[in-house]
Amino acid sequence: METTKPVNKYVELNMGPQHPSTHGVLRLKLLLDGETVKRVEPVIGYLHRNAEKICELDYYCDSLLYFDRMDYVNSLSMEAGFLEAAEKLLGIEPPERAKWIRTIMAELSRIASHLVWAGAYGLDLGMLTPFFYVFDLREQLLNIFTEASGSRLLTNYMSIGGVYQDFNDKIIYMIKDFINSFPKKLEEVFNLFVKNDIFISRTKGIGILEKDVAISYGVTGPMLRGSGVDYDVRKAEPYLMYDKVNFDIPVSYAKDCLGRFLVRYEEMRQSVKIVKQAINKIPDGPYFNPKAKKSLMIRLRGEGEAYGRTESSKGEFGVYLVGDGTVKPYRVRVRSPTFKNLSVLRELGKDVMIADLVAISGSIDLVFGEVDR
Amino acid sequence: MNILNRIQGILSPLGHDLSFAGAYLIETLIALIFAVTVVAGMVYFFRKYMARVQNRIGPNRVGKFGVLQVMADGLKLMQKESIFPDGRDDLPYKIAPIIVFLGLILAFIIVPYSNLYWFGSLTVTHSNVGIILIFAILAIMPIGEIFAGISSNNKYAMLGALRAVAKDISFEVPMMLSILAIIMIASVNTSQPLNLQNIVSVQNIPFGILEPIGLFIFFISMIARASYSPFDMGESDSELVTGDTTEYGGLRFGLFYMGLFGTIFLGSMLVSVLYLGGGSGPYESSIGFIWFLIKTIVLVVISLTVWLSMPRVRIDKFVNFGWKILLPLSFINLVITGIIILGGIA
Repeated sequence: METTKPVNKYVELNMGPQHPSTHGVLRLKLLLDGETVKRVEPVIGYLHRNAEKICELDYYCDSLLYFDRMDYVNSLSMEAGFLEAAEKLLGIEPPERAKWIRTIMAELSRIASHLVWAGAYGLDLGMLTPFFYVFDLREQLLNIFTEASGSRLLTNYMSIGGVYQDFNDKIIYMIKDFINSFPKKLEEVFNLFVKNDIFISRTKGIGILEKDVAISYGVTGPMLRGSGVDYDVRKAEPYLMYDKVNFDIPVSYAKDCLGRFLVRYEEMRQSVKIVKQAINKIPDGPYFNPKAKKSLMIRLRGEGEAYGRTESSKGEFGVYLVGDGTVKPYRVRVRSPTFKNLSVLRELGKDVMIADLVAISGSIDLVFGEVDR
Repeated sequence: MNILNRIQGILSPLGHDLSFAGAYLIETLIALIFAVTVVAGMVYFFRKYMARVQNRIGPNRVGKFGVLQVMADGLKLMQKESIFPDGRDDLPYKIAPIIVFLGLILAFIIVPYSNLYWFGSLTVTHSNVGIILIFAILAIMPIGEIFAGISSNNKYAMLGALRAVAKDISFEVPMMLSILAIIMIASVNTSQPLNLQNIVSVQNIPFGILEPIGLFIFFISMIARASYSPFDMGESDSELVTGDTTEYGGLRFGLFYMGLFGTIFLGSMLVSVLYLGGGSGPYESSIGFIWFLIKTIVLVVISLTVWLSMPRVRIDKFVNFGWKILLPLSFINLVITGIIILGGIA
């Protein structure tokens, strides 16, 4: 009897959802040929909390809470993104002071997010130490957020028509203190990465993302700018006060993990630049639009549709709202940048080694609260 | 006069053979206690040092300055339930951690600790082929890693074992060639260059100065042997969960963990014996052991600093590095050693 069983040359491996380097609950189905990844299939949905639907069942002002919990390391940018759409829909314009405050907080939040990413990227590559350094730096930011909003991570600071409370002298002092000391400390930490030959060899030329592939997948943010496309919502369609400050959009033409790393590094420095200008430009005046005062907030009605797009630390964050004239939105839809960025992993993860796959998926900057929502 | 002879003297009423057998047993026990103490100390020191490097405090709750943390962790590991994976290869799965730890402990009885006042030397085996013996014992440890990897019935463990094997074969040849250079240069001044005690005693100039390339190769090999970052391919923390030890828990995991830290210390001891003159230094006959420990601890600190500041090298790059850089370098090292011997510098 001659039965030849087809010998399966490949090994299937489930990476995640519980795995040290999948940043939360990403599951990667890998097809391996020895150490080489032949196919990678990201499976998502393990952190799905139905945030969009819950928002539809809530008042406009309450929906903000769920946006905090999307990209939880960058919650202030998420709030700014939601309010961009909600205020268009509800027809409430925040006063100028509130806009400046939001700009500052969103930029600080971007720094906080990139810091976490850098630390986690170090862990992905097997470096333990920078993780603690960046969290040390981030702690100062969290103190600022605590002073402003009373909460460290899920701030719920901005609200429809303005912000929850005004900047006082202490917050302004803390922010000034932070932006003065931060660039030097940041450089120190980043030298740990970029002056290390092993780090360079692990990232340089790894995970090449071509420009047209990136655009066709809808990749945005540092991933896109790392592939040489000069696109940033802050410049392309300025919101808040980004047209009144002077800053640059870093672009890398290297298209690899190292390029994306350096883009994020430079973005942090540009954020400091923005905050430095903004903190001196805050005008006096109300921080809250009286049309949306707290007792009336749940009675705000929206009709029609509105789309607000902002640049979160991961890419273009879009919120689409449809109102039917009641106090609750009819439809809430989020364009999550990380979800789009993750989809390109299938292209990047072909014929690479497992170690490179970890480096590539780390360079996407995944936060699963936002991918799964 | 070392501990062995003293114990034998005490036991002499038992007769010649019995007293020697008893003395060897007791001294082996002393060496084992030393090894375990060192490993526990290494774990504590590593955690404290890592905390200092990373702007943290480290263990400070159990005992003064957290010194009892290691014991608390050990007790916790002992109390844990043993969970066995389904479909394992039972015997290799169970003996793998024992092999790793046994290989480590055995090596501790051969290392030439120098004299310490009245106690003399702690070394149990004064073999004439000590250097071969110690590297034979070191070669046992990877067998444990491989057993652990292939018997766990886990793909991560299997990949970890494959990586460990690829890593082992790429550094062991350069390592043994650098040992050969040591033996060559030691044979100038002694008729028994395979004896570790002789290698220590002929180092008027430490071999590390005569053979810096050899020192470099050997130090890298010791990092790869102990398997910590940047060469922790067997474990590959962030890629393969924990590689070959993925399926281990409780005391078995503890044995692997102790094996890791013990190997760091052992590797540092070997570098200091072979390249930095071991216990030689001022007042060698009375405090040689102290010199030996100082050299070792400095090397341990260097090793831990390397560990804490480096990312992991990709396995194919390490294999390339082993065969294409370390191997030619070790041949060059042999040639240089020959020139040194011919030139009469040693």
